[in-house]
Amino acid sequence: MRLHLTLPRIPDIELVAIEGLERLARHLGIADDKVGEARILVAEAVTNALEHAGDTPPTVRVEFTLTTEEIVIFVQDRGKGFDPAAVEDPDITGKLGSSNKRGWGLKLMKSLSDDFRIESGSQGTTISIRKLLR
Amino acid sequence: MDQQFTLTKEVRGECLIVTTSGYINNVGGEAIASECGAHFANGIQDVILNLEYSKVVNSIGMSYIIEIIERLQETGGTLVFTNLDAAVEKMLSIMGLFKYARKEATVADALSALGRKGVGHESR
Repeated sequence: MRLHLTLPRIPDIELVAIEGLERLARHLGIADDKVGEARILVAEAVTNALEHAGDTPPTVRVEFTLTTEEIVIFVQDRGKGFDPAAVEDPDITGKLGSSNKRGWGLKLMKSLSDDFRIESGSQGTTISIRKLLR
Repeated sequence: MDQQFTLTKEVRGECLIVTTSGYINNVGGEAIASECGAHFANGIQDVILNLEYSKVVNSIGMSYIIEIIERLQETGGTLVFTNLDAAVEKMLSIMGLFKYARKEATVADALSALGRKGVGHESR
């Protein structure tokens, strides 16, 4: 079962994606507690993409493919891209006392997913996440 | 699931209990930090953050919680998370928050744990 969304940059729009995920899961008879980590992944992926989406257009494309076994999340923006290898792995001890307490998105997406891929260039960034629904 | 963020608060002695409902993003996180900040000025030493009704959080929201931990470190206070959804608990664990904050199953457990610490928040 597949769901495609194009989300504009407006407050809390990631909740639309999460609601879509939950509805698909319910339709397939997947227990709510099995999609908990997928909810967090969607929140992080969409929030991150919208923040870096740029303005031409200020939207992100989201696609879910859901089975009773797994969810595949695809999030694409048209921002200016970045070098994922240059992103420092955040550490809580370093964040305490630092003026920048953010920057957890990539670490969380990598840690919570069963497969995480990112492609980024001057035309934008695409994130693909596979999450087993154990 | 209604994700509109709201919070309620209760003061027990020198402990502030904040119970949230709905999505904790930048707005929710800032509201929690602001609530705590107002109470720190009134002598609050510890904070219990009950997330029973918040099943979706994002890391930007949690960055405000790191601010609260930072503030509590300055005064020797403690932040205790309670009623954590399994996914939220895993997220906080990945972020390393439990190195500097505690978790307990319920608010009553948290009050008891803080009492054992010698803070003495329980009602007489």
